[in-house]
Amino acid sequence: MIRLLLSASLLLGALPAGALAAAVKNPDTYTYLTINDSDSLDPAWAYDTASDMIILNVYETLFMFDKSSTEKLVPLLATKVPTKENGLISPDGKTYTIPLRKGVKFHDGTPMTPEDVRYSLLRFMVLDRAAGPSSLLLEPLVGYPTTRDEHDKILPRVWEDVNRAVAVRGDDLILRLPRPYAPILGILASWATVVSKPWAIANKDWDGTEATWEKFNNSTKEQSPFFERANGTGPFQLDRWDRRTKEIIMTRWDGYWREPAKIKNVVVRGVNEFGTRKLMLQAGDADVIFADRPLWSQLQNIPGVKIIDDLPTVQMDPMVFFTFEIATVGNPFVGSGKLDGDGIPGDFFADKDVRKGFAYAFDYKSFISDVLHGKGVQATGAIPFSLPGHNPKQKAYTYDKAKAEEHFRKAFGGQLWEKGFRFTITFNSGNVPRQTVCQILKRNIEALNPKFRIDVRQIEWPTFLDAQKASKLPIFVLGWNADYPDPHNFAFPLLHSKGDYPPYQHFKNAEMDRLIEEANAETNMTERKKIYAKLQALEYEEVPHLLIVDELRYRAQRDWVKGWFNNPIFPDAPYGSYFYTIYKQ
Amino acid sequence: MLKYALKRLAFLPFVMFGVTALLFACLQHLTPEMRAALYVKDPRQLSQLDAVIEKYGLRKPVYVQYGIWLKQVAHGDLGYSETAKMPVADAVKSFFPATFELTLCAFFPILIVGVFFGVLSAVYRDRFIDHVTRFVAITGYSLPSFVLGLVLLMVFYGHLHWFPPGRYTLDTDMLVHSDSFRHWTGLLTLDCLLNGQWAAYVDVAKHMVLPAATLLYIEVALLLRITRSSMLEELTKDYVRTARAKGLPERVIIRKHALANALIPVVTLSSLLFIGLLGGVVITETVFDFPGIGRWGVQAAEQLDIAGVLGSTLLAAGLFVTANLVADMLYAVVDPRIRIGG
Repeated sequence: MIRLLLSASLLLGALPAGALAAAVKNPDTYTYLTINDSDSLDPAWAYDTASDMIILNVYETLFMFDKSSTEKLVPLLATKVPTKENGLISPDGKTYTIPLRKGVKFHDGTPMTPEDVRYSLLRFMVLDRAAGPSSLLLEPLVGYPTTRDEHDKILPRVWEDVNRAVAVRGDDLILRLPRPYAPILGILASWATVVSKPWAIANKDWDGTEATWEKFNNSTKEQSPFFERANGTGPFQLDRWDRRTKEIIMTRWDGYWREPAKIKNVVVRGVNEFGTRKLMLQAGDADVIFADRPLWSQLQNIPGVKIIDDLPTVQMDPMVFFTFEIATVGNPFVGSGKLDGDGIPGDFFADKDVRKGFAYAFDYKSFISDVLHGKGVQATGAIPFSLPGHNPKQKAYTYDKAKAEEHFRKAFGGQLWEKGFRFTITFNSGNVPRQTVCQILKRNIEALNPKFRIDVRQIEWPTFLDAQKASKLPIFVLGWNADYPDPHNFAFPLLHSKGDYPPYQHFKNAEMDRLIEEANAETNMTERKKIYAKLQALEYEEVPHLLIVDELRYRAQRDWVKGWFNNPIFPDAPYGSYFYTIYKQ
Repeated sequence: MLKYALKRLAFLPFVMFGVTALLFACLQHLTPEMRAALYVKDPRQLSQLDAVIEKYGLRKPVYVQYGIWLKQVAHGDLGYSETAKMPVADAVKSFFPATFELTLCAFFPILIVGVFFGVLSAVYRDRFIDHVTRFVAITGYSLPSFVLGLVLLMVFYGHLHWFPPGRYTLDTDMLVHSDSFRHWTGLLTLDCLLNGQWAAYVDVAKHMVLPAATLLYIEVALLLRITRSSMLEELTKDYVRTARAKGLPERVIIRKHALANALIPVVTLSSLLFIGLLGGVVITETVFDFPGIGRWGVQAAEQLDIAGVLGSTLLAAGLFVTANLVADMLYAVVDPRIRIGG
């Protein structure tokens, strides 16, 4: 059905656009049409871009990134950004002193206190819902990523550890880390959202005591008063979340501690159908819409609509992951499960020559030019070019048939080339770029040897989860979006044996693990960059995955929208954004 | 009649039990990992897949989960719909009125246009009016609703700016959510009138024109065809020939004799059509961004939101049984020879 709707919207795109008057429509209201629906507005629960974008505008963190920068921080609810130079980071890199701003009020008019900040950080950690964001603070502040063991029992030292890690001294917040953790300030800028403790207690949320925290640990989202209501210090107040119409309305907070926002109302609305979103943008009822790269051509030359292109991202998508130990029993994706020309063995991708053969067989340039309309550069390492630690001099694989053949001939002592193989590559349905990656691999590899056969199959997300958990997918194509703008947030999930992907791939490299841990403990960025350069050189050599592209995005907005700036770390960037600076003129 | 109606309604819980038990049986084919997809939507959450399965008890046998659900239902709790982000009962209460309102707006025009032109087409068989109605019926039957919907949107919204998509504009949105606005019936058009908000009424009505028009064009086709063929059949029967031989005016023959008999299949079809519309018109609701029950039901199914699927299925089952009952009763009205409840 989605495909049919897309076809119809293509048809729609071919029709001439109606001319519109240049006058600003709804000058006090900024409307963003998206496809995603928020999951929860509780800062300790939300772990999706749609929710986090609302939280970004209603709540505030201690610091934020300076305009478009992903490196430079400016104080927000803090008054200074700690550094070793200003003495707010201890020489051993384990204690952070963060002076807090005075005169800040929550939307209910009550003043923000240091205790609110302490409570917010504790709450973020102790709520720790399954598959939630709590690990982002737990890991650096207490040294372990979850409050529960593998049997879902609460760990004994959690309360003691979180209280040791977060304390208040006068008007300062004191953070005591178990070990130096270089990305901590970036994490605080993205995730240390401040809520009001009295408001939480008044609304029957956690009271901040040891006696009750376990009751709130891993609770369901609808139990939280923060789920659909908000009382932040941010530039916008939450007026209403209408889950029926998928609409969130925010209004300007006139008691904001800085100059109030320029726009009076912000409406974020879920409209799944692209044709409808486009028509609303064209009519001026929407100021900006979500539209990814395959829809780019349909938004050209619409009167009153401006395309802002070449916007950097902090993501790696698509990526091709190899599974080093494939479960072959009852696995429909590996054919016979043997190296007999009609399947692949479980250790197929454990052979480095096979991985290199695949790396040389992919046509990176064509993918970028044809699928992304040239809007991207070939990725040269797990760390995207928008982040420090990216090494522009790092070698990357290029499409080279001769080299691909050379490696395939060497693989499995020459048996692979003789016998051939057959297996299935999967991608999650509905993702055009990922599908194209699979098709390019199929075409190029099958062209090398008639005995090489690859089937491409789209699978639904639930099927994907099932097959991936059981290590049944020889290759899977997915991506990674940053939680915070630091190289560690790419190095660890993509390359560390305890990261997000390597455990599923059964990939482990002791030297890579060591380098990642070393870089994470190093607070000097120049030194860190050197370590990450070594890491990415090793990544190139080991080829645990194929890196394809550092994508550039675009944004379609009405030309009367002013004051917008892109920071790729903002949730839902570049479509959704930080609305504080936006106005219509 | 009342006894008959009560007897039929008494079967409703059994139908619902059967439907939900069947659904749970189907779920046996889904692994816990598959069902966890409702909560694990992002690769960033992959590492906590087991924790999610544990938290939501997805490893428990399906009959245990069904037992838990039945126990909840017995306590008046239909569960929580992840896709609607609210309890299932609230979701039904929230989405159903919009669909019901759209159904009312579309159904009566469909009925009037379908029966009127169906009869006309049969009476003037192979003449101009017949050709026109048949053309309309064929195009309506074969035209995908998303194409028609998008074309209507493009013309009447994109170019003419007359009928926007969605439910209402921001001003009406603010008004209907204000404390001063009373929701008497849950039907927004009616509530706007009852609150004396004429401008809001016009706004809400304007937003319903295109989805209702799309439904009218698509759904009228079948009704028109059935009315025409049923009417043609009746017009060739002996009693019509006798009536003509007796010299009864053609108008009387058509209205009082043939039409009453021709309407029996039309009543059946209309009841099914009404249920179909009430169950949600997925594509129309999606294209016009109309917050109805169909859009929710499909999203729930796509995302394996079991509570949501069960909730929307229960509603559909309830509607089906009730509408069938109403259709049976209407038979007696259109054809006095049929007696029920005896």
